[in-house]
Amino acid sequence: MKFKKIAAVMAAAVMVMSFAAGCGSSDEGNSAGGANISVISREEGSGTRGAFVELFGVEEEVDGEKVDQTTTDATVTNNTSVMLTTVSGDENAIGYVSLGSLNDDVKAVKIDGAEATADNIKNGSYKVSRPFNIVTKDGVSEEAQDFINFILSKQGQEVVAEEGYIPLDTTTEYAASGVSGKVAVSGSSSVSPVMEKLAEAYQALNPDADIQIQTSDSTTGVTDAINGTSDIGMASRELKDSETSQGAVGTVIATDGIAVIVNNANSVDDLTVDQVKGIFTGKTLTWDEVTK
Amino acid sequence: MTKGRKIESIILKILVYAAAVITFVVLLFLLAYILINGLPHIKPELFALEYTTENASLMPALINTVIMTLLSLIIAVPFGIFSAIFLVEYAKKGNRFIGLIRLTTETLSGIPSIVYGLFGMLFFVTALGWGYSILAGAFTMSIMILPLIMRTTEEALKSVPDTYREGSFGLGAGKLRTIFRIVLPSAIPGIMAGVILAIGRIMGETAALMYTSGTVPDMAKTPMDAGRTLALHMYNLSSEGLYMDQAYATAVILLILVVGMNTLSAFVARKLTKGK
Amino acid sequence: MKNWKEKGMQGVFLLAACASILAVALICIFLFANGIPAMKEIGFLDFLTGQTWRPGNNIYGILPFILGSIYVTAGAIIIGVPIGIFTSVFMAHYCPKKIYPVLKSATELLAGIPSVVYGFFGLVVIVPLVRDYINTHGIRGNGGNSMLAASIILGIMILPTIIGVTESNMRSVPEQYYEGSLALGATKERTIFRIVIPAAKSGVIAGVVLGIGRAIGETMAVIMVAGNQPQMPQGIFRGLRTMTTNIVMEMGYAADLHREALIATAVVLFVFILIINLCVSLLNRRNDND
Repeated sequence: MKFKKIAAVMAAAVMVMSFAAGCGSSDEGNSAGGANISVISREEGSGTRGAFVELFGVEEEVDGEKVDQTTTDATVTNNTSVMLTTVSGDENAIGYVSLGSLNDDVKAVKIDGAEATADNIKNGSYKVSRPFNIVTKDGVSEEAQDFINFILSKQGQEVVAEEGYIPLDTTTEYAASGVSGKVAVSGSSSVSPVMEKLAEAYQALNPDADIQIQTSDSTTGVTDAINGTSDIGMASRELKDSETSQGAVGTVIATDGIAVIVNNANSVDDLTVDQVKGIFTGKTLTWDEVTK
Repeated sequence: MTKGRKIESIILKILVYAAAVITFVVLLFLLAYILINGLPHIKPELFALEYTTENASLMPALINTVIMTLLSLIIAVPFGIFSAIFLVEYAKKGNRFIGLIRLTTETLSGIPSIVYGLFGMLFFVTALGWGYSILAGAFTMSIMILPLIMRTTEEALKSVPDTYREGSFGLGAGKLRTIFRIVLPSAIPGIMAGVILAIGRIMGETAALMYTSGTVPDMAKTPMDAGRTLALHMYNLSSEGLYMDQAYATAVILLILVVGMNTLSAFVARKLTKGK
Repeated sequence: MKNWKEKGMQGVFLLAACASILAVALICIFLFANGIPAMKEIGFLDFLTGQTWRPGNNIYGILPFILGSIYVTAGAIIIGVPIGIFTSVFMAHYCPKKIYPVLKSATELLAGIPSVVYGFFGLVVIVPLVRDYINTHGIRGNGGNSMLAASIILGIMILPTIIGVTESNMRSVPEQYYEGSLALGATKERTIFRIVIPAAKSGVIAGVVLGIGRAIGETMAVIMVAGNQPQMPQGIFRGLRTMTTNIVMEMGYAADLHREALIATAVVLFVFILIINLCVSLLNRRNDND
């Protein structure tokens, strides 16, 4: 019975492999008491992650280069709703999302005693915020410039505020100029929801304009703007030096907070910056160490 | 019959039934999960012609899906049918060249969709300079469904009895005439079944289209415009966690389309067996 | 004139048949042209056997993802193949005629559900189950996003492939085999498992291999439940990253060598698929010679 033999060999090989894989973990075991923290992080190119590691000091300078020290044990996701779903289902999870995506399924913890609200960001007591940037290069087309004017005007910033982000202080009025043409916008998935709203408001004023929004991530948005694939890039973090040296110019269009989220059943309400840093760098492994 | 064999039989029988129960319970779970989350959120706004952030309409994506499907079929079906004709009617058995064609077809059907996506991005989007567009997506999809159409057409052509061909030759018809007038028409139900399977594949595809057709939520006006299909639309709706309800509603619509396609293919298959 | 037309059309058919060769050639050229230079720059061995993946510091080792893909696929096979084969036995020999059409279209429906839906299903149903198990047994885990969860989801996803292929091959086994065995006094179960399945073995293997291909290439569902840690797989309750998810996770923002390294990952995946296909055609050839 050749078939049986093949099947048996396959099954044996598979079992050996899975045991080998299983053994790797058993000797690490549970070093500390209490529930292990499940750390959930965004993917490396994400602007949310970039801003998060910068603001909490999770990145450290090694040989003159900034290195993201997020523990390799962290679950990585490139999707905000996966982040929300995971945290809302796992009592031991901790993660972070844009303030605009925060909902009741999870609990945002206070950072150094300040609650994550738009007001607290404005008055400076909640420090975990990052700018939403639009990225352009020299020689912006007329249509794109008009759209940018709208975003930065009073009308545009009203849309920003309505969506729960922190608007800029501006008093410039925007007057519809009746431009027509296509404007390609691409980049950060954190910025694109508010950008979609802005585009709708703009197109209501300028029915002939066509704003196309591609959603990817901050780094792609900047790259697209640099190599001309799109007219306007979206980035949910500060631009890097390597990007500005290639001619990318960032313009802040709004400020967004990053909420550190835990499960609703978690008793922790308040964390310090250092505690968050400890958790995300893998130095703090259990909730007991935090609540102690 | 010995006792041992009886026990063996009983155990096997239990395993068979248990496996069937697991399969269909899982399926029921999946369906219930989708329907419970999606059905309450199917609202008329979802079918508005224009996508806005208020309605998260799936209509543009639905239309894009139709355009994408049609374009891919227009490209892939002639190639698929012609190459199947070549393999069945012209090729001599055991030819090296035929072996190569079969090997490449098998390879194509095994390539993961993410690899298709990367290839589409490198070739159609970048090298040919089409940018993210429905056209780039359609070409990528057509390569992906080509082996499917080839295989089903081949089977259908093979199942046409040789007496048909001999009869036609006997009446003085040429080979070409025989193929197009006699063989192909009787193989049409089989080919249709393949096409329907291909449509199902295109509708459900995400990874390959993400890098080729772009994620713009609007309706594509020309094939060079970017636009997302239903499956991609659902993925994008879900990604920021803001439109989960609409994402599940979209999943229900996708499911209904899949059921529709399956029913259609079953119908065609029934016609095929009746025709014999 | 007529002869010319015949010959011309034969040429057209031949050209069409070359399309698949051309497609494979193009895919090879474009993937390899973009991937091989990167592999060279990183070093073939360092790339394939390196255990660290840190694009920020230009360290590219994809061994964790190769192993990740293999483990997850193996897990999917362990879960999906027995259930799939037993279910196809049920479909072919036990299922009452009345409910057969319903169940048949149900398995086809399973194949038609988009992988994103499987991903969310896994995230909401399977991952919490794994998490509870981990928590109640005090096993170290990453909150349920794990190799086990990914394997279960993939095991479900490959069911329709395995059921479809195995069932049709079992049905193509001549009736005489089945009836002959019954007439000799064997039980129905013994007949099926000792006569029918061995007779259909090449078809069964083909179904399993197709399932492997589907599992190793699946992306969107795995990315939601596997955890995606860029480190060596640490056990079935821990998270891991596969080759496919590594590509999707980082392709968006990768540039230069990083981007090429991701395409090189796709090349490795492609070679895996080629090897699997080669095994199938070798198996088929051996069976033809039997």
